[in-house]
Formats: sequence, C-alpha cells, structure tokens
Amino acid sequence: MKEEKKNPFKAMGRGFANFFKGIGRYFADFGKAVVKGDAGVKCSLLFMGAGYTFKGQWLKGIFVTLIEIAFIIMCIFYAAPNLAKFGTLGTVQREAVFDPLTMQQTVNDYDNSFLILLNSIIALFIIVCFILFYIYNIKACYELQKQKEFGQHIETNKENVKSIVGNKFHLTLLSLPTLGIILMNVIPIFVLIAIAFTNYDQNHMPPNKLLDWVGFSNFKKLFTEGMGNYFGYAFKKILGWTLTWAVLATLTTFIGGILLAMLINKKTTKLPKMWRSLFIVAIAVPQFVTLLLVRNFFGDQGIVNTICSNIGFTDWLKSIGLVSSHLNYIPFLTDPHWAKFMIVIINIWVGIPYQMLIATGVLMNIPTDQLESARIDGASKWKIFWKITMPYVLFIQGPALITDFVKNINNFNVIYLLTQDVYITPDQALANANAKEVDLLVTWLFRLTNEYYNYKMASVIGIIVFIICAVFTIISFSKLIAGDREEEYQ
Amino acid sequence: MAKTKKIIGSIVSHIFLALLVVIWLVPILWLVVTAFSGYPGINKAHFFPTSWSLDNFKKIFLHPDSVVQYMTWFKNTLVIAIFTCIISTIFVLMVSYAFSCMRFKGRKKIMTFSLILNMFPGVLSMIAVYFVMKSIGLTNSHLGMIIVYSAGSGLGYLIVKGFMDTIPASLREAAKVEGASEFTIFIKVVIPLCKPIIVYQIISSFLIPWGDFVLAKLMLNSGISSDWTVAIGLYNMLNRSLVNNYFSVFCAGGLLVSIPISILFIIMQKYYVEGVTGGSVKG
Repeated sequence: MKEEKKNPFKAMGRGFANFFKGIGRYFADFGKAVVKGDAGVKCSLLFMGAGYTFKGQWLKGIFVTLIEIAFIIMCIFYAAPNLAKFGTLGTVQREAVFDPLTMQQTVNDYDNSFLILLNSIIALFIIVCFILFYIYNIKACYELQKQKEFGQHIETNKENVKSIVGNKFHLTLLSLPTLGIILMNVIPIFVLIAIAFTNYDQNHMPPNKLLDWVGFSNFKKLFTEGMGNYFGYAFKKILGWTLTWAVLATLTTFIGGILLAMLINKKTTKLPKMWRSLFIVAIAVPQFVTLLLVRNFFGDQGIVNTICSNIGFTDWLKSIGLVSSHLNYIPFLTDPHWAKFMIVIINIWVGIPYQMLIATGVLMNIPTDQLESARIDGASKWKIFWKITMPYVLFIQGPALITDFVKNINNFNVIYLLTQDVYITPDQALANANAKEVDLLVTWLFRLTNEYYNYKMASVIGIIVFIICAVFTIISFSKLIAGDREEEYQ
Repeated sequence: MAKTKKIIGSIVSHIFLALLVVIWLVPILWLVVTAFSGYPGINKAHFFPTSWSLDNFKKIFLHPDSVVQYMTWFKNTLVIAIFTCIISTIFVLMVSYAFSCMRFKGRKKIMTFSLILNMFPGVLSMIAVYFVMKSIGLTNSHLGMIIVYSAGSGLGYLIVKGFMDTIPASLREAAKVEGASEFTIFIKVVIPLCKPIIVYQIISSFLIPWGDFVLAKLMLNSGISSDWTVAIGLYNMLNRSLVNNYFSVFCAGGLLVSIPISILFIIMQKYYVEGVTGGSVKG
C-alpha cells in the first residue's frame, strides 16, 4: 500500500492490469447471462424489454423497447447515411448554378464534409453507448431471472416508477449534467482528434469545399522542418518558451506568495487583515481589465516610458546596451526579450495575491507544536523555514502546484491580452507559421483558428498540448485523491 | 538592545509591505483617475489627468455610439450570467448529491474520471466546441453562450461535494426511516444545510461570463457590437485605431464592471483556498 503511494506509475500499471481484467470479466458475465438465461432473457436479445415484461415489469419493458426502437430509427435515418460517407468525407462538391428560368441560383445536392464528420462522431458515440446499454440490459434481465428463481421479491411496476426518486435517484440526477458534459467536453475532444487527420484549412472550408483524410501528414508537418515548411521551426521555439514560461510563472508566484503570506502573518505585523485585503483588491478586478490596462501602462509611448525617459532611466539602459540605441523608448512589450521578461513580471503581479491567499490558509494550519518545540530547541528562523514550514507547504500544495503548472501552460489570458495587436514578430520564419516569439501553444492555436482558419494545424497542436497536460494531470491526480476526506465524517 | 532591533525590524517590514501595496495598487489607481479624466483618449505624459470630469461616464450611460454600447453589453452579460449561474448551480448540486449522499456501483470510478476530465483546460477544445455550436446554429447567440458556460459545469462538483460530505449521514437516515424518498431528502434536508456553499457556487458561476474573454471572442464573432459581452466590448475599444479616442472610456467602463465583480469576489474568496488545495485546508 505504501509503495503504491510512492510510485504513481507502478500504481498506474497495476491499474491498467486491473482494467483489462475487468473488461474480460465484463464480457464473460455477458456470455454467462446469454447462455444460462431463460426464454425471457433470450427474447430480450431481440426485443430488449422482453425480459422485464415476462416478469411482470411491463412498464419498464415498454420503456426499454422504446429506447431500442428509437435507436434503430436513429441508425437508419441518421447514423447510416453519415457513416456511409465517413470514409471519404463526401464526394459531391457544392456547386451553384444560375437558373435563367427562375432567375435564381440553384445549389446542387452537395456533401457537407464537416457535418458528415461531426454527425458520424456523434453517431458512433451513440452506438457505443447503446451497445453498453444493451449488454447491461441482458445482464439485468438475467439478474431478475435469478431473483425469481431464489424466490426473492421482484419490484412491481409501481415500485419501478418510485425508484426514479428512490434508490435509482442518482441516475435521474446525473443524466442531464452528463449530457452537458458529453456535448461540451467529450464530443469536442473527438472532433479535435478527427480534424487533425483532415486537410481542413483556409483552402478547404466546408460547405464550399470538400475535406479529405490526409493521415499523419499534419503531424509530420509540425515535427519536421525545411522546404517552405516553417511549422517545425515555430513549434520547437514555441514549445520551448511555453515550458520555460510555465516553470517560471509557477515558481515565481508560488515562492512570492509564500513569502508575502509569511510577511503579513508575522506576529509583529499590525493589521494583517487590512494588508491582505489591499492585495485582494488588485485581483478582484477582472483580469481582462487589469491586463489591458497594464499593456497600455507599459506601451511604447505609454506613461511608464514617459516617466523613465524623464528621469533618465531610458538613457541609462541605452548606455548599458539593454535598449538598442536607435530607439527613444523602452520596448517593454514590443522587443522579444523585453516582452518575455515583462510578461513574467506582470504575471508575478497578477499571480502573487492568489498564491498569497492560498499560502495564508496553509500556513495557518501548520501544527504549532512542531514550531514551538523547534524554537525551544534553539533552531534558527531559516532552519525552521526550510525544515518545517517548506516541507509542510509542499506536502499540502504539491498537487496544486502541478495543476498550476498545467494551467500556466494554457495561460491564455495573460499572453493574449498583453501581446495581441501590440507585439509584431521580427522573425520572418515564425511569421510564416503565423506564430510569434511570445506565443504559447494555446495562443498560437487560438490565432491559427481565429485569424487564419488553419484548423488542421491547430487541432494537431491541441492534441500535443492535451498529451502534455494529461501526463502532468495524472501525476497530480494520484496525489490529490489522497486528500479525499469523504469517509472521515460520514 | 534586542527590543530596539525588533522595533526597527518591524518598521522595515511595514515600510516594505507598504511599498508592495503601492506597486500592486498603482495600476488600479491609474484606472480610477483616468476614468474621471476630462478627455476620452490616453494621456501619455501625466499619471493624473490634467482635467477632471464625468464625461466618460456620461458617454457610457447617455450617449452610446457604434463603439460604446456599454449598457447593452452589460445587459447581455447580466442575462448570460444569471442563466449560467442558475443552470450551473443546479447541475453542481445534482452531481454533488449523487456522489456524496448516494452509494452505487462504479461511483468512485466515475468520480475519478470526471475529476481528470475537469482538469483539462477548456481553452484547448474550444475550436471543436465552436464547431459543434456552429453546426447547431448557436454561435452569435446568447443561448449558445449560456450553453457553453453551463453545460459542462457538472464537472466542477468537488467543493460542493466536499461540503455535503460533512453533513452527518444520520440526518438522511432518519428521514429515510420516516419514509422520505431520496428526492425529498435532497430538497428538504440536504439543500437547506448547504446554504453557505450554495452561495459560493452561485457567485463563482455568476462571475464566469464577466471574466471570460476567449470563449466569448470565439463565439460572438459576427462583429455586431450589440451582441457582445462587456469583456469583448471593452477589448475592442483598445483596438489600435480606437485606443486614442476611447482609452478613458475603457477605464470608466472597466471601473464600473469591476466594482460589483470585486465585491462578489471578495465575498467568495475564503472558499477559493479550499477549492485549490482540494479541501485539505480550511480557508
């Protein structure tokens, strides 16, 4: 048990083994139900409600059969026509012909590749769900048969209806939220994956043009360089900056937050609540307001530049070579190096109050007896900080730190709001791939779709970021679940 | 000797704190004073405006033009926020009750799976979300925005479920003995006890549409400014061609939206800590 906690990957391996064993058992149970089932169970292989109806639960039987009928209708009129074209994504291109008789444009019966793609994915999803439901249904009928054989009480129709708000209430509760999650979180992921294997871009926009499957060529484009392909070069640069940024942003705000929290919590500090509230005010203002404001604050002709040039700071920076001599301002957000530096600094400004709030909560929960005994033993302040405070904070905040790292990989707001419309890349190769030095993978992805309609490359980037996030998420998750306190109270 | 050293140390740390506060509040101060300036554009030479007036607020409230339709945006965002907040709160309560108060097969597995799913940043699948919404014709509509913000909200159940876990099971069992169904227990026993966390849930889901920029920018892309939310409207004012004429108006608008949002944020910030540390720390 202890070993499992120490090594999340070992635990994961065991989890996978159990997972496959579980699948094996799942189908074995299904086979058993079919073989050993009575006439009712066997009939429900064809008419799904039969098993219930034979045992007197005709209401449930009708309901389940209705679902089956609805599924068959769905298959004929929705799934089949779409899935038939899924292999080619449609063959008939849209053509508009001017009809001189009616004086109107007539459009032929064209294939909309994107709708075929989307509908096929939804149809496949429904089919998989139905198969799972079908297997579950056979097993449930077999259970019912066993109950009857053992002479147990079989629920009446009335009791069946009552269970919707009774012992089956969780199904009622979870159905709508699950539907929403499937629509917003699950289907989009599959669509994203599918688009990465097509040629969906500015030159192939449905409904006017057809899409085609292109295999792994988009992936290849992202990972290789040369021959007029700048994506490989841009990807390497942006991935490097994304990871550097995520590490810098996470560590600076984390450490800064702890230090600020300790400074405010010090016994000698008067009015700690007031100090804390002042910092909270800075983050209570919506981020898009503060970030857009700060962007103008540090603009090339902005107020900070005016002040810096008045006090001679700009000239001093010029003299030590940090600002090139032909400029008469500090290029805070327009020079590649300055912009990266400023983004990290501004993010510290945005992030520290949040971290301070969390660190305050954590620090207040440090077991005081440990601190006291260390103090009595004559440990120095530094020693207490490194040997007691930091390990404790890291223990509590470790998983949150990894989550923060993932969030920073995807920190769209800070980068986009600070640099969009302001920063223009001097690197022609990057510009050819529609990227900038300061872009994160997500902002690159966003601009590829929103400005350049290059959906295929954006989808590939999306998949890559997904994989990166998944690795870190699973590491952090195996630790987070350990903090679950559900059984403690109940 | 030690005492004077302590006093000096305390004074130094107070001065340092004050300095930090100044750094953190300078941009906010700039927002406030610029909002009250006597000209619509940006003043590059002075921190404090050279003339003061309420013109920017007047423009927002009384003289909307094609660029500034603040009241319409505010109304749009408010409508979206209210519906998002109702749907999300109901969804989260439903999911939390199912996971916290009921025991069924596969519960732990579903919980784990949904937690992992929730950790993936929504920014990533947003293009695909956009496509899904476009194919059902819900881009550029407020209904679409409400769906985008609230449909997946069931995944964010962790904090509310953590709170429900602290409600003694004996209360529910007593109700069950008296013949109450799970539905009755949910409505009459558990929800009344969850009031503080419901307040948190309402506020935090209400704040989402006010703070969101990226999804709104992607979904409401028609360029018709009366459809926008506050975030996109204000962003648009800082367009290169507009910033010199609208910067102070932006500040006034930003200030107006910040006041209610800040108050709500400050009310709910004590739960924020609990959410981030996964409930291992009480805020």
